[in-house]
Amino acid sequence: MWSEVFSLGFLVSLLAGTIRLATPILMPALGQIYTQRAGILNLGVEGTMLMAAVCGFSVTAATGSLWFGFAVGVLTGALYSVLMAWLSVSLRVNQVIAGIGMNILATGLAAYIYRLIFGIRTLPAKIVPFQSLDFFGLAKIPYVGTVLFNHNILVYIAFALVPITWFILEKTTFGLKIKAVGEHPRAADSKGISVSGIRYAAVIIGGAYAGAGGVFMTIAYLNMFTESVIGGFGYIAVSVVIFARFTPGRAMWGALLFGFASALQVRLQALGSGIPSQLLLMLPYILTVVALIFASKKAEFPSAYTIPYSRMER
Amino acid sequence: MKKMKSILALILALVMALSLVACGGGNEDGDKDGNEKMKIALVLPGKKDDVSFNQAMYRGAVEYAEKHADTVELKVVEGVYEVADIDPTLREYADNGYDVVIGHGYQFSEPVNTVAKEYPDVNFLLGCGVGVQKNSACYDVQLEAGGYLMGVIAALATQSNKVGVIGGGEGSEITRGHEGFKAGAKSINPDIEIQEVYTGDWNDTTGAYEAAIGMYDAGVDVIWHSGDGIGLGVVQAAEEKDMYVLGNVEDQKSLAPNNVLSGLQYEWANALDRIFTSIQDGTFVSDGEKETYMINVANGGLSMTELNDVKGWLTEDDIAVIQDVYAKLGQDAIDLPEV
Repeated sequence: MWSEVFSLGFLVSLLAGTIRLATPILMPALGQIYTQRAGILNLGVEGTMLMAAVCGFSVTAATGSLWFGFAVGVLTGALYSVLMAWLSVSLRVNQVIAGIGMNILATGLAAYIYRLIFGIRTLPAKIVPFQSLDFFGLAKIPYVGTVLFNHNILVYIAFALVPITWFILEKTTFGLKIKAVGEHPRAADSKGISVSGIRYAAVIIGGAYAGAGGVFMTIAYLNMFTESVIGGFGYIAVSVVIFARFTPGRAMWGALLFGFASALQVRLQALGSGIPSQLLLMLPYILTVVALIFASKKAEFPSAYTIPYSRMER
Repeated sequence: MKKMKSILALILALVMALSLVACGGGNEDGDKDGNEKMKIALVLPGKKDDVSFNQAMYRGAVEYAEKHADTVELKVVEGVYEVADIDPTLREYADNGYDVVIGHGYQFSEPVNTVAKEYPDVNFLLGCGVGVQKNSACYDVQLEAGGYLMGVIAALATQSNKVGVIGGGEGSEITRGHEGFKAGAKSINPDIEIQEVYTGDWNDTTGAYEAAIGMYDAGVDVIWHSGDGIGLGVVQAAEEKDMYVLGNVEDQKSLAPNNVLSGLQYEWANALDRIFTSIQDGTFVSDGEKETYMINVANGGLSMTELNDVKGWLTEDDIAVIQDVYAKLGQDAIDLPEV
């Protein structure tokens, strides 16, 4: 078995799988960096992704256009997270409860929308998903090509968002305002920054990123919708943000680490490692917990993390 | 002020939870005209159109109910997957005057046995699970037989001498199916390489897809899956890599006409017929040894779907071997592995 583990073919398949599985974690994680930096913990990412997955998929199935479906997915994510922004910023409710409520609502609503649109069928609805690119033949390069140049366009968009997100947060006034609102909302308010306006924007941008991650699952990774299609990626994304100490670069490595663990565990099982399947299934989660223990010690949470802001209260 | 906000949050969460319940329940109801129809509640862990485990049972139950439309009234609930949701759902139907409550799936084992004890006047059925009470019985599929047949087909069809099998949770009929598959494949070629993965969750389409891609990358060219959401992922991977896949529970050829080589089909109506007959003639409730109502190749409840060898990997001789094994399974003439 071990000779197979160290073979090139195994490694290539493993690394390609790592990148593929990292994408649906990376997209929402990058979005949550905006949200969490602004001081809002949105646990409703999972539900936001599910709503985007079903809406984007339905539009693609109806129109045949993948890009239209993708756009609707992003838009759905943004719109659904307006609810979270309203609950957490305007109503100032407990963010953990609001997030969990968002997820429960999405589970029911997504299943309902799917049944409403597609009805009861003997075959699941399928679409033709985004195809792998080949970069004018670069994908044909042995090994490297398969790992790096043989994914669909959304995978590359996700990784391109890493420097873009970094730039917006570190080099623009808008990014500075987000951080100010998360660190010291009262000071930001006194400087004429609209705390609730910036927080709304941060939550909605986070929702749009999560929407992209959600619709990725149904029109690029898979070619159909199932109720459990998100499968916990949203929750992992939230923990990746903390693991990454709220920086896009580290979030990328966090997502890759989790993708690697997931891709590794199915392949180790297949080769018959003799390790019980239940233990291998835990591997990605154990890794997340261990990584969090080490990373979160150093994580500097925004000072106003999960604390609603009101001018009236002290 | 703050207190009001948290109350509002609580109410919102409750409303959302309720909306979930409202979405899940409420479809087809028989008329309540007060005559003595046998009221059956079928609780499914997944969706009734999953092209697999749930759909087969749904089809079987509807078939039975339509055949006996004047004596039977059927109610179907979908998507009761979590054990925490199962217990209250079973109680709800037992409380509401249902005569038979069916829990379809391994995760129903514990709740069905608990609830059955508390409702002695209601009959309970447990699909592919373990444990019986005085007023309950199990029905199951002899998947080791089906798995054996799939193993034989995979081993005969493979060009690379590598075959794979992907299952949901490890346990019950899935494990028996996997062992049957391995025994069947080895009966054709003792040196064949068999890769095996459990995704740990019957709904994990993504994980099953990734597992299948990994297997096909490693040179496997035929994979059998044990159905449900994971089956859809494996079929998609097979289509993408243009390799063979063997289906389970329902005929899946239409999912990928060029890549589904064959598969198994369950006919639950077969078992339901026998069970409801015993309920009606009063032999169902008993303290003694309980029969597990099996569907298998021998009684026609488990059948092989048509071979669809698009790539021409099976020779005439191979097909003859498959037919022979199929026939022998029908006569119960093959030693199957015991788990």
